[in-house]
Parts: sequence; structure tokens; C-alpha cells
Amino acid sequence: MTDPARGSGGSDDRQDLELIARWKAGDERAATELVERHAAALARFAVSSGERNEVDELVQDTFVRAFNSLDGFRGDSSFRTWLFTIERRLLLDRRRSEKRRRDKTEIQEDDAATEYDALDSMVADETQRKLKHAVERLSPTQREVFSLRVAEGLSYKEIAEAVGTTEGAARVHYHNAMRAVKEFLDE
Amino acid sequence: MNDCPNAEIRDQLPDLIHERLEVSMRAAVLAHVADCVDCREELELLRGVRAVLVTQAPRIDITHVVAALPKAPAQRRRRQMDWRIAAAVTFLAVGGSSVALLNRTTGVTVGNGVPPVAPVIGQATPLASSAANAVPANVAPANDSQARPAQVVASANEQAAADVSPGGRFADLNEGQLKALLGEIDKLQAVPVTEPEPVSIRVDAKSPAAPDAGGGGAAHDR
Repeated sequence: MTDPARGSGGSDDRQDLELIARWKAGDERAATELVERHAAALARFAVSSGERNEVDELVQDTFVRAFNSLDGFRGDSSFRTWLFTIERRLLLDRRRSEKRRRDKTEIQEDDAATEYDALDSMVADETQRKLKHAVERLSPTQREVFSLRVAEGLSYKEIAEAVGTTEGAARVHYHNAMRAVKEFLDE
Repeated sequence: MNDCPNAEIRDQLPDLIHERLEVSMRAAVLAHVADCVDCREELELLRGVRAVLVTQAPRIDITHVVAALPKAPAQRRRRQMDWRIAAAVTFLAVGGSSVALLNRTTGVTVGNGVPPVAPVIGQATPLASSAANAVPANVAPANDSQARPAQVVASANEQAAADVSPGGRFADLNEGQLKALLGEIDKLQAVPVTEPEPVSIRVDAKSPAAPDAGGGGAAHDR
């Protein structure tokens, strides 16, 4: 999956801000460009956060909510970090509402395991399969932080903003996750 | 798999993968990695994890997402403006049609739908008497104008405004009637001017006890 938004951080952020300004001025193509730049990263973050169902819908909802409140985006953080924050909030809301609706945590875990098995067949390489399981064994927070750091290349500061923690805590989560992955692979 | 004791360099490894390091830092990290087995292994691990995370994410239909997005603010403003323009055009069209219809109706009838028949001489209401002045009929207008001049003039104004329309009735008046009408207009212009005459005031500081000053020390001069 391509990631058109990632180069050096500063120029990406500037480009995002330019696209936002263009969209606000009425250029609808700027919206398309923004979605193209960040949709894949949002999908990755959703999956690495443990979301398996309707990821595309979650990504769409994230963009809709973001564009509806773009006036509130002041550019203090990067646009992508802001999107992660929105997506994470939606993800938590979705989980809360699901949990309220029916308390079937164990069944969901079984479903997830089945879907992982289906995904496993797509991942031929044994090393990759082991890596995937190693990441899945992490705690939810560790997985989020590890994914944002490794797959998206976010700084600890950006991760802290997206996940709602401190920069130091994000660093600790990352290193604990790395140690856990290594230990799993060494078993 | 061991951890390199250089935590600072280890912290930079994900940034090295994502090409987010400055030139000098990148060179330093690459130099360290070249000599450090643990960091090389960790770098490979990071690349592998990244590949896995990227592979397992589903592909997103960009068109589908874009279709669900709200319109750009400027587009929204433009649409609101379009609505306002459309509403204004509709209002003008309906209003214009109503006025045109009304004009056409009043061209056929007078007042409250009454057909333009010659009025009865000495009719009680002043409006009717003014209509009698203007409507071409073989009636001497002087009879009515003598009764209540101010009302006759006012109603003559209304009638004159109506007669400016293409369907006006001046052309139907004979010479005597026109003269009578002009006479009424002359009376309208003969209304006395009510504006006060200009007053100028001059203050004479050298003569505080001027004879006509009334104790104020100022001389009023018209």
C-alpha cells in the first residue's frame, strides 16, 4: 500500500495545510488529495488497534468528522496526527456502544482469531506471520504506540497527542513493546 | 535478540526507516548501525513489522470516502448565494407579474373594479369629483373644482400619475378640458411657501449694553 504523504515531516505538514486552504477556498480536488494522502495510514492504525470490522467505514467516518470540523484544526499538530486522534475517538465510541449493546467479548475474540487465520493464509512468509502474532500479543496501548511509531513514523510527541498520553509515556510504551516483540520472537 | 545500550540511537531507528532524520543525525545513525549488530537486527525487525502492518490493512476506496465528505465552505457559501439569487429572481418575477396584471386590470377599470363610465356631476366624494375632472366626458370641470380645491388637487395628482401610463387619457381631452386641468395644476403650485425666512445673528462684543439686547449683550440682526 502506498503512502503518498510521508516524506520529511515538515513539508508534508505544509502540503496538508495548503490542501486544507485550497479546500476551504472551494477546491474539491484538494479533499481528494487529502484523503489519498492519509486514508491508508488511518486504515493501518485501525487494524493495528485491533479493529477488524468495517475499517473502510471507520476511515470514512474519520474523514467526514475531520472535514466537518476543519475550522477547529489550528495546525498545532500535523493533520495526520489530528486524524489519528479523531479515528481513535471514533474507535473507542464504537467499542463502547458495541459493548453496551451486547456483552460478548469472548465471542468477538473468537471471531477475531478466525479473521486472523484468514489473514494468515495471505501472509506466506513464516517470519512475517510470527511478527504479526508478536504485535497482536501487545497490550492495546502498546500496540497503538508501536504501530504509530513503526508503521507511521510518528514522533513520540505526535503519538502522545494522538493517543492522549505524555511524550515520556509514549516512549516507555514503545520500548516495552519492542522488548515484548523481541522476547516473543526469541521463544 | 539483544538491546543496544545506546538508547538515543535506538530511538532514531524508526525515523531512519521513514526518512525523517536530518542529514547529520542520519549520518550518525547509519555510522552506528554499520558497527552495531544489535541495531542492525532491530532495524530489520522494524522493517519487517512495518511491512506486516502495511500488508494487513485493507485497501480504502478513496472515491467512496470523498463522496461522503461535506462540501467545501466556499462551495456552500456559493450555493447559499445561488439560493438567495434564485429567491430574489422568483420574488421579482412574481411581483412583476402581479404589478403587470394589476396595471392591465386598472387600465380597464377604475378604482375598485368599477368600469370607467362618465361620473355623475356633483358626486359627493372628492375622489369621484377628481375623476370627473380627468375622465373625458362632456362635463364642465369648473363645477367640481370650486367645491373643495385641496382635495381636488390631491386627487388630480393621483389621476395625473395614472395618466402617465401608455393607456393615459390626456389625448381624449378637448382644449377646454385641458385648460381646466391646467388651472387646477396652477392652484396646486399656488400653495404658500411655509419655510421660515433665514435669520442671521451678529454678536457685538464691544457694546455689552446694547439698547435692544435685553441684558444679554448681544445684538440680533435680521
